[in-house]
Amino acid sequence: MGSVDLKIIALVLGTIGFYTLVANAIPQVQSEVPAEADFGADVTAEELVDVGLSLYEGAGGCTACHAESPGARAPNLLTDYRGQGTIGARCGNRVPGLACKDYLHQALSDPTTHLVDEYPPIMPSVARTMDSQQVWAIVAYLESNGGEVTVTAADIQADAVGATGSVAGGAPAGGGAAAGPAVAGEDPVQITQTLCVMCHQIGGQGVALGPPLDGIGSRLSAEQLRTAILDPAASMAVGFEQMSGIMPATFGSQLTAGQLEAVVRHLSGLQ
Amino acid sequence: MKESSRFDAGLAPGRVLAAVLLSGIVLLAGMAGPLLAQGYTPPTYGADAPFVGSRAAVWIVAQVHLMFAAFVLGVPMFAVIAEAIGIWGKDARYDKLAKEFTRLLLVAYSATALLGGLFVFLLTTLYPALWSYMSEVFRISMWIYAGLFFAESATLYIYYYGWDHWKAGRAKLGHWGMGILLNVWGTVVMFIANSWLTFMMSPPGDLTPDTAPATVQFWSAFANATWMPINIHRLIANAVFGGAVVAAYAGYRFLKATSDEERAHYDWMGYVGNFIAIGVFLVLPFAGYYLGREIYEYNQQMGVTMMGGFMSWLWIVQAFLIGILFLAGNYYLWLGLGRIPGGERFAPYTKWMLLILVLGVIVWATPHSMIADREELAAMGGTHHPFLGVLGVMSAKNTAVNLMILTTFLSFLLYRRANKNPTVSWAGTGTMTQGILLAVCAGIVLFYGVYGYFVPAIVRIGFSVYQVLAVLFTIIAVLTLDVLIARGAQSRGAIQWGKMPPRSQYALFVLLVTFTWLMGLMGFARSGIRQHWHVYEVIRDTSEYAATPALGYAAQIISACVLVFLAMISFVFWIGGMIAKPELTTAKAPPGAAPLASTTGNNPDAEPGLGSGLHPAPGH
Repeated sequence: MGSVDLKIIALVLGTIGFYTLVANAIPQVQSEVPAEADFGADVTAEELVDVGLSLYEGAGGCTACHAESPGARAPNLLTDYRGQGTIGARCGNRVPGLACKDYLHQALSDPTTHLVDEYPPIMPSVARTMDSQQVWAIVAYLESNGGEVTVTAADIQADAVGATGSVAGGAPAGGGAAAGPAVAGEDPVQITQTLCVMCHQIGGQGVALGPPLDGIGSRLSAEQLRTAILDPAASMAVGFEQMSGIMPATFGSQLTAGQLEAVVRHLSGLQ
Repeated sequence: MKESSRFDAGLAPGRVLAAVLLSGIVLLAGMAGPLLAQGYTPPTYGADAPFVGSRAAVWIVAQVHLMFAAFVLGVPMFAVIAEAIGIWGKDARYDKLAKEFTRLLLVAYSATALLGGLFVFLLTTLYPALWSYMSEVFRISMWIYAGLFFAESATLYIYYYGWDHWKAGRAKLGHWGMGILLNVWGTVVMFIANSWLTFMMSPPGDLTPDTAPATVQFWSAFANATWMPINIHRLIANAVFGGAVVAAYAGYRFLKATSDEERAHYDWMGYVGNFIAIGVFLVLPFAGYYLGREIYEYNQQMGVTMMGGFMSWLWIVQAFLIGILFLAGNYYLWLGLGRIPGGERFAPYTKWMLLILVLGVIVWATPHSMIADREELAAMGGTHHPFLGVLGVMSAKNTAVNLMILTTFLSFLLYRRANKNPTVSWAGTGTMTQGILLAVCAGIVLFYGVYGYFVPAIVRIGFSVYQVLAVLFTIIAVLTLDVLIARGAQSRGAIQWGKMPPRSQYALFVLLVTFTWLMGLMGFARSGIRQHWHVYEVIRDTSEYAATPALGYAAQIISACVLVFLAMISFVFWIGGMIAKPELTTAKAPPGAAPLASTTGNNPDAEPGLGSGLHPAPGH
């Protein structure tokens, strides 16, 4: 091996070493896997907020856009925004009639529903990359910034039972839960109390996001009810046009045929 | 020229092994479907790879395989172009050059196949569930891929071994057609493989973790959102890479040359390789923009992760590397002026061009937002540095890049003009027009760069299009003028091939190492933006290697890949050198060498180095 070979080897090693050195000299940031959350029935607000914080600043990638600096790609969440306060303080006022946690959950799961003026619709659905527990943890963390944490184990439990039938209609959790009935049995009361009341009120129970189901049997035929469940975008109740697209179109795959017919019969009976 | 019989004997085991491994791929692809159909559930992860772990093992083998693949796809492009110049330009040197590299291709091809086989072996044993899923979705294309690989191999052997047999008339054209066919096979093979990796990056939006792979529509998976942008980007990058490897090979042979004739030959070859590498490289940023835009179109979060998330500093390193490519490429051209009579009159301009390039690199490598803790953020008043933040935005970066491209083009233009004395009556006006065009273009680029600070982001993004169009228009217009001005030009003397300082050849090595390292870095960027997903938002990586590593660790892996590749390609060249010495050809200079000596018919328009005679520098 002559001097030319040695010079070339030295040059190649030196160049590669230099590049490696440069890449190691700059700030090192690893993209972490979102921490698995396994909240029990006695989960506390502090636990939710802790997990939410780690997701918000870490694997969730939220800070890439919701930065605190001018020129950020998305609204600032952790400091005052146009005199409305931090996100925990202003979230309850964003959509009339929508509680803070429901608004935040919706904004995370179906971000195009409520866009903030001046910002492009670039936010992806967090529900595609995180499971429902992680989404609720982020909601709790955001509430904690200037507001009261109202997320409870019941929210998480209801979401888990409803699988994809959450208020926001998020996609299935990334973990890959097996497809199948969202609820067990064919008791229509139990099904409606589990799934429908997350967006509809029945007898004063539930969230008034969509039209109340009291008396729905006198307004819609059984066929119309079936269509409304399977293909919610086909028509919208008068006065709720702005809610178009919110109701998940996935009940056809979540309910068995027997469950669907039981629900249709039950709703038809609500005269 | 007779080839050594050792060649066949030496390659046979590699070819046999490659064929066995490829057959294995086909069998595995075929088996996966029936297994799944029978309800077989493969284990999610196999045994961990010893020493480096599964992720690094797959990463290194895949990356080195890709580097070889880029070489064996890039060189055929290089070869058919060179052969075409040889045929229609009636310049035998290009024909020899094309054959010399096709010979190296044979050995590199076997190495590519072996690495591909090893890659499949690692995937099937370390990530069996992912392999089963992918082979279920892409089974048809995997069969076609394997079949085309055999067709490509056969074409390559016919192309190479038929070189001396079909060397004249229609037979030569038919031989060149085989070269074209070789490129077609290679391109189709690459497009198929690209569909697999881009599917992992951008699967159809209606896929969920619950979607059974058997129900995925093949074409929607195949022609996914980033497939064509990656195809285009890789096609261009392969040509660049092929040119860089050729140039470095020539540089090595130049440094080891024992005669003026040999030195002249390899100086010329190095120039041609570098010309292709840098020339095609100038187009690559536009393909990169297209790819980036499609990534944003597909998934905003992926785009943000890539440019503004944890990968934001990767682009600073990329800018640094591309800056070195610009500097090394221009440095080589400037040194090349020394071997052209008349080139010395342009030497004073080089320091100003160097200044522009250095300033451009500095601006381009300025980070947009700083990774800092809360105290530092508070001190800065945000993530932007109070002073440097102004330079870190796209307005400044786009301006810097376009001015660097324009400067490199100017270097090339001076190189072209170096030994010409224009004789057309309007030469002065034409040259002045060229200068005005370049100045106006620089003005347009600067104007939109500055104006970008005063408009909203959505408007600012559009300005980059105006800047790029201005640069492209100027390059085409100025080059056209230059060709017209050079018609009938007198020569100041023939290029003294071989009269290059040794440091110029080392610059070619810096270019190759940097191109290769950059390829590894961009591979990490493309793959890393999937983060903890094997198939983005469809198949989650739940292994212990799911986290996407920081740039420091990635750099170590990339460096390992580059070292392995360079060691293997050196071995390939060494083997290639053992087979046969290339036949050097020296075009005789016409007496007096007054016009630009050229085997293309004394054409004064001929590009220095791409059509001029090969004259060893005396006493060198």
